[in-house]
Amino acid sequence: MKLIIADIENIPFEVHGEYKMIRPQEKIHNCIGCFGCWVKTPGICVIHDGYETTGSDMGKCSELIVVSRCDYGSYSPFVKTVMDRGISYIHPDFVIRKGEMHHKRRYKNVIALSAYFYGENITEREKWTAGKLLKANADNYDGKVKEIKFFESIEELEGIRV
Amino acid sequence: MKVVLINASPRNSSSSASLLESLKRYLDGQIETVELHCSKKVVSEDDLKQLRDADRWVIACPLYVDGIPGHFLSCMKQIADEVKSTPHVYGIINCGFYEGIQTDLALEILENWCCKSDYSWGGGVGVGGGGALASLPKLEPGVGPKAPVDKALKNLAETVLKNIPQKNEFVSLAFPRFLYKLAAQWGWRGAIKTNGGCAKDLNKRLS
Repeated sequence: MKLIIADIENIPFEVHGEYKMIRPQEKIHNCIGCFGCWVKTPGICVIHDGYETTGSDMGKCSELIVVSRCDYGSYSPFVKTVMDRGISYIHPDFVIRKGEMHHKRRYKNVIALSAYFYGENITEREKWTAGKLLKANADNYDGKVKEIKFFESIEELEGIRV
Repeated sequence: MKVVLINASPRNSSSSASLLESLKRYLDGQIETVELHCSKKVVSEDDLKQLRDADRWVIACPLYVDGIPGHFLSCMKQIADEVKSTPHVYGIINCGFYEGIQTDLALEILENWCCKSDYSWGGGVGVGGGGALASLPKLEPGVGPKAPVDKALKNLAETVLKNIPQKNEFVSLAFPRFLYKLAAQWGWRGAIKTNGGCAKDLNKRLS
């Protein structure tokens, strides 16, 4: 299954195969840093606003595809909030990978992570940061980076094939 | 001359608050400080006014999924739109991982925000072992596991007072990594038991 996290309601490209899309249909509450998704209701966020299953959705996907405005080299607030709410994908315990501390896996799937960033005037520095962010996410999910691309506008996303 | 200390954690009691408190000790009596708490997606009009009135901002923020928490990204966009001054901006990012260097991306995002918004990036401090900061016993500054953090905050305070930039400094607790890792594991097991669960529930997979 492909899991798509997009900050636009209607993505202007087709997705092939089985997929689930998380997009800004309902108002999203930000992560409150309570760790309830680890120690109260493991695997599910304690805030029930329609986005609480992000972590378990990630546990079922083979590909995570992010469609986001690029804000300062980061994902947009909506996409980042969804990802913050999905930390139950990983386990609270730590492991050492490549000499650095990361979280242990909860699920067995290995996520291939792609990001399609859009926005006017994305600087080279922001692109550099976004690339590093994707790589860091893949390291923490114990997954891999598949693709990263940048577009000047939402309309240009039409050319994406996923 | 005024410094706004911005706590960007969504939590009321947090490592970010504790780090700002430590920094403030080095600033007190030398410059006026104002404290703001940006725990939601929107910055209040009063807080925006405080930001406009200050020439230095220090943002303390937890690392969320390798970057800035989603709610504070919203605040950053709002501030960029509504505060057209030219402050020096400093950052303190703390992460639950042992290595402070893992905060470098979040500091880079703050720097990119400054570049886009015509604010002056002043550099910052990346702190590892953030999960333990708020629970460490209150000791004299420079003593115990927090000593490297206190030193970095003292350096940052001097930089802030001079209103000059510095290179990012990354620190970890003076505490062995394997013990920190073990302490965290015990902590999670204690927490889930307090909530009526058992240790193996931590591994639950939802289908």
